[in-house]
Amino acid sequence: MRDSLCTTARRALPVLATLTTLSGLAQAAPVKIGLLETLSGPQASTGQSFRSGVKYAIDKMNAAGGWNGQPVQLIEYDNQGGPAGASDKLKAAIADGVQIVVQGASSAIGGQITEDVRKHNLRNPGKEIVYVNVGAEAMELTGEKCNFHHFRFTGNAQVRTKALVAGMKQAGTLGSKVYAINQNYSWGQDMERAIGDNAAAGGYQVVEKTLHDTNKIQDFSPYVSKIVASGAETVITGNWSNDLLLLMKASKAAGLKARFGTVFLDQPGNVANAGDTALGHFIAHAFNPEAGGAESTRFVDDFKAKTGHVPTFVEPQAAFGLEMVAAALKATKPQGDALNVNAFAKTLEATRIRTPMGEVSMRAADHQVLMPFVVSMVSKDAKYKADGTDMGFKPVKVFTAEEAAGPVQANCKMQRPD
Amino acid sequence: MDTIVFALLNGVIHGLLLFMVSAGLTLVFGMMGVLNFAHASFYMLGAYFAYTLQGIVGFGPAVVLAALLAGAVGVGVERWFLRRVHHHGHAHELLLTFGLSFIIAETIKLLFGNHPVDYRVPASLDFAAFSLGSQQYPMYRLLMGGVAIAMFAALWALLTRTRVGIVVRAAIYRPRMAEALGHNVQLVFMGVFGVGAALAGLAGAVAGAFYTTNPNMALEVGVMVFVIVVVGGLGSLGGAMLASLLIGVITSLAVGVDRSIADLLAFLGARSWAEGIGGLLTLKVSSLAATIPFALMLFVLLVRPRGLMGEEA
Repeated sequence: MRDSLCTTARRALPVLATLTTLSGLAQAAPVKIGLLETLSGPQASTGQSFRSGVKYAIDKMNAAGGWNGQPVQLIEYDNQGGPAGASDKLKAAIADGVQIVVQGASSAIGGQITEDVRKHNLRNPGKEIVYVNVGAEAMELTGEKCNFHHFRFTGNAQVRTKALVAGMKQAGTLGSKVYAINQNYSWGQDMERAIGDNAAAGGYQVVEKTLHDTNKIQDFSPYVSKIVASGAETVITGNWSNDLLLLMKASKAAGLKARFGTVFLDQPGNVANAGDTALGHFIAHAFNPEAGGAESTRFVDDFKAKTGHVPTFVEPQAAFGLEMVAAALKATKPQGDALNVNAFAKTLEATRIRTPMGEVSMRAADHQVLMPFVVSMVSKDAKYKADGTDMGFKPVKVFTAEEAAGPVQANCKMQRPD
Repeated sequence: MDTIVFALLNGVIHGLLLFMVSAGLTLVFGMMGVLNFAHASFYMLGAYFAYTLQGIVGFGPAVVLAALLAGAVGVGVERWFLRRVHHHGHAHELLLTFGLSFIIAETIKLLFGNHPVDYRVPASLDFAAFSLGSQQYPMYRLLMGGVAIAMFAALWALLTRTRVGIVVRAAIYRPRMAEALGHNVQLVFMGVFGVGAALAGLAGAVAGAFYTTNPNMALEVGVMVFVIVVVGGLGSLGGAMLASLLIGVITSLAVGVDRSIADLLAFLGARSWAEGIGGLLTLKVSSLAATIPFALMLFVLLVRPRGLMGEEA
């Protein structure tokens, strides 16, 4: 029964297709967006944060009518935390007809995807796909590896450090001696460079730089000893997850008085686990619910109603990124009932949206988003508390997209389609 | 000077903690021949048990209860799982415990979520024991070291100085004879496995508060524990202690060494040549600190495959 139905359907399909094309009444396949994220393994928690932000924006887009009269489909692929898995799953996604892939956790995976997407598009003209990067922050993705079909909807080490340094300086807590400690891979190395590059603007001296193994160290006390010995007043670090928590806890235990400037302190669980140790430390992030007035409150309430929690960590940036994708989709007319990816990419380059933090746009030269950044301090006065503690992130300063932006990297040589 | 004192102290205490986790693994392997892949999972269980219980019974009792509970889970695993596959040999036991480690991790994620939980050193223990120069030394670290030393002494005394130790050793080397003499060998095995799990649980309950308690903590220490057991010699308690201290101290000291091969070559006047090449030649020792234990393991396997204090195979 099932078989015969299928065969009938298969036979009827070409006929139907011809009919619909002839009649011009479009009922094409919906646009498929593939989420290629780390959904299992040690970094699953980060991948799941990206997923909830992405899902929120796509649900919103579909509630507003989807694209071309049909809801946009979100298909999830688990890259299992590594570039190899991502590469395999990207092939599966392409086979499933996905035209837009979204990923955020890990620059290593982002590097793999952008290369695979570039090669695929070279070999399959007319069947291009576009990579929507909502979190991989390595500089090379918009530098050496910059690619017309890659769009980054998050900051990078230069952008985050610039905001962090300026915000801490204005708050009068930067000090003149800074210690740079980072994870030894592309992201951490970028951070280390950015901390050095911002020394003049921040009026500090980098007393020492340390790169350490990523997610392999349990005992950070030897590193803290080094920080103490260096006499640093501020520690700036791009560390995330356990590496950040363990570093902060070890600092507290050793009685280190230095302030921390961080970029991922708002990862769920961090503030709760660090406890009072976190008080007075800084973060440069894409969103603070307290910083954007009524618009922020509306976004936070809506997000909470849909997902059950206040947006934190990478969720806002993922949601804003996908809202830009939605805006660009809306402005792209279907061609032959389908999405022309190159036309969509060109529209995306010119898309501007308003988020609760301010105006966001895409820089066509390197496909780095220009978005506002907020510098916040962990405090008991914050309106929104983190992790059910009595502490939260109190905004110190909001930088507009123009103020936060870094220059286009000279080594970005983008090949554009005609 | 202060820096070196602190580096040594940090290394020794971290080593002692590593010993706490690896003692159970080496004990179970030495006594029963079971290489328990899920060992670090008991470490994680201990931390989560203590986290859950501390609100009800307070920190101290929670740590003790967590160790006992982890031990009880270990007893259950031996009784209902391992015993069934024991006669199939090592491969089955290894696979079973390997699978178990995943199940425990996923269960923890299901119950406590993906993110670290807020298990912290209680305020009453959160103070500096002493300070040297501008640096303080936390009391809790000394406490962790003390627990590890007490554990080592108790285990050693139990195995070499008591009747229980004699029975355990007899049950391992001459199981049939021990059985004929009226000892319950099955019970001994169950007990040994339970004690091994409880030791890991104790380590987790103690260390989870100082470091972090999250669903990845088993993964984080798991590999290091195997390195220690291999370096120290499979089944040797003294070896595990020696290897743990060695690894703790070497890693801690390495962090302070900002030297590279290029600095070494500078003595030969080849610094600029080395810096020109870059790569491995300019890599600082400090950035390799977490990799050194693995290099040590490879070295030990090459020159002394049975480990530092392991018995001749």
